[in-house]
Amino acid sequence: MEPVIEIRDLVRRYGRQEAVNGLNLDVAPGRCYGFFGRNGAGKTTTIKCLLNLLRRDTGGIRLFGMDPVRDEVAVKRRLTYVPDQVAFHPWMTIRDWFDYLAAFRERWNTEKEQELLRRYELDAQRSVNRLSRGERMQVALIGAVCPEPELLILDEPTSGLDPLVRREFIRTVIGAYQEGDPANRTVFVSTHLITEFEGLIDEFTIIDRGQEVLSLESDTARERFVRIRARFTEPAPALEIPEALTIRRDGREAEVVVNGAHDRVVAQIEALQPEEMAREALSLEEIFLATVAKPRAAA
Amino acid sequence: MRLQLNFKSGKPPYRQIVDQVKAATAAGSLRAGEALPPIRTLAEQLRLNRNTVAKAYAELEHQGIIENAPGRGCFVRDGGQPLRKDARRALLAEPIDALIVQAHHVQIQGEELIDLIRERQRRLGEGPS
Repeated sequence: MEPVIEIRDLVRRYGRQEAVNGLNLDVAPGRCYGFFGRNGAGKTTTIKCLLNLLRRDTGGIRLFGMDPVRDEVAVKRRLTYVPDQVAFHPWMTIRDWFDYLAAFRERWNTEKEQELLRRYELDAQRSVNRLSRGERMQVALIGAVCPEPELLILDEPTSGLDPLVRREFIRTVIGAYQEGDPANRTVFVSTHLITEFEGLIDEFTIIDRGQEVLSLESDTARERFVRIRARFTEPAPALEIPEALTIRRDGREAEVVVNGAHDRVVAQIEALQPEEMAREALSLEEIFLATVAKPRAAA
Repeated sequence: MRLQLNFKSGKPPYRQIVDQVKAATAAGSLRAGEALPPIRTLAEQLRLNRNTVAKAYAELEHQGIIENAPGRGCFVRDGGQPLRKDARRALLAEPIDALIVQAHHVQIQGEELIDLIRERQRRLGEGPS
């Protein structure tokens, strides 16, 4: 199946600084794809290159198999984009704003609009100028979902919102978006607040300093990245585990984080006869922290 | 039916749904003919992507646990398992072997193991504690 987004060796510099430095990425249709990175990792630059808001220096980008520079209109009629800072025409009501957006679109799902306004308890007659930060993002997301595009691009949709609001609304909006034709509803969402997206993301790329650090299916990632805890009857022995991402010893306890090969590592620790041992999967956020801020494993 | 996910288990969320629905039907808390929640509802409740719930339902349908009535949703199938008895017994061989091996390592064998199975079966029937 042709990828919805295809990025090959993308490079974009600001002056001599490389914001994106050889990025590769493929997003298959129907997926909810996470693009994780710290602030300044190159997420927004990449997204702006996808949307032809920035020119790439070198490398290839295809959206729906088309070139976003040459086929800009054909590409953009099939996607919507919500930037991290949303802006409206301040004299408009929510109703005016949606009518304005709908005028540019081939489709506008009024039922979906009504349903989401109701769920967020938003009155369409309110002025967009009097909305709280969270409400502004809600209005922007409703505006991005109602045209039922094949691709929804969200850049840091939850940053700056309080935790309660962001947990609630991101899942309702993604649920509402996918409803109807899930095979042709692809989400590409960039964020550094990964916890809210734990169950929503099918697959992700972690980007750091403009380069891909890790791309994996979420299920595979949680299978591979494992934390093993062991408690010994004596102070924990020194552990030599070459494949460990981190090893910590604290009194009688030891904690090892590994990427794959955990059966081997478990067997190795078991041979040291701990009195108790447990393993658990890392969350996506913990995987992000373990791979990006990679601390040197104690040798 | 109350589903609960644990991302720390390392077991893929769709597989957790499959296993929990199967457990609920085995325990009788989900009966033949009863409806499963719509995909979107369950996805929002569990904070999951709908793809994950859809995958779980497809797997349950494939295993003959539920059936999908287009336009009406998914329902638990009535008892009539489509597989023949020997095939059904064969399905259990592998987990039982694994259980026996593990039981051996914690020194629970023979009658004690059988008793333990009966006890767990009884507790499952009483529903989640």
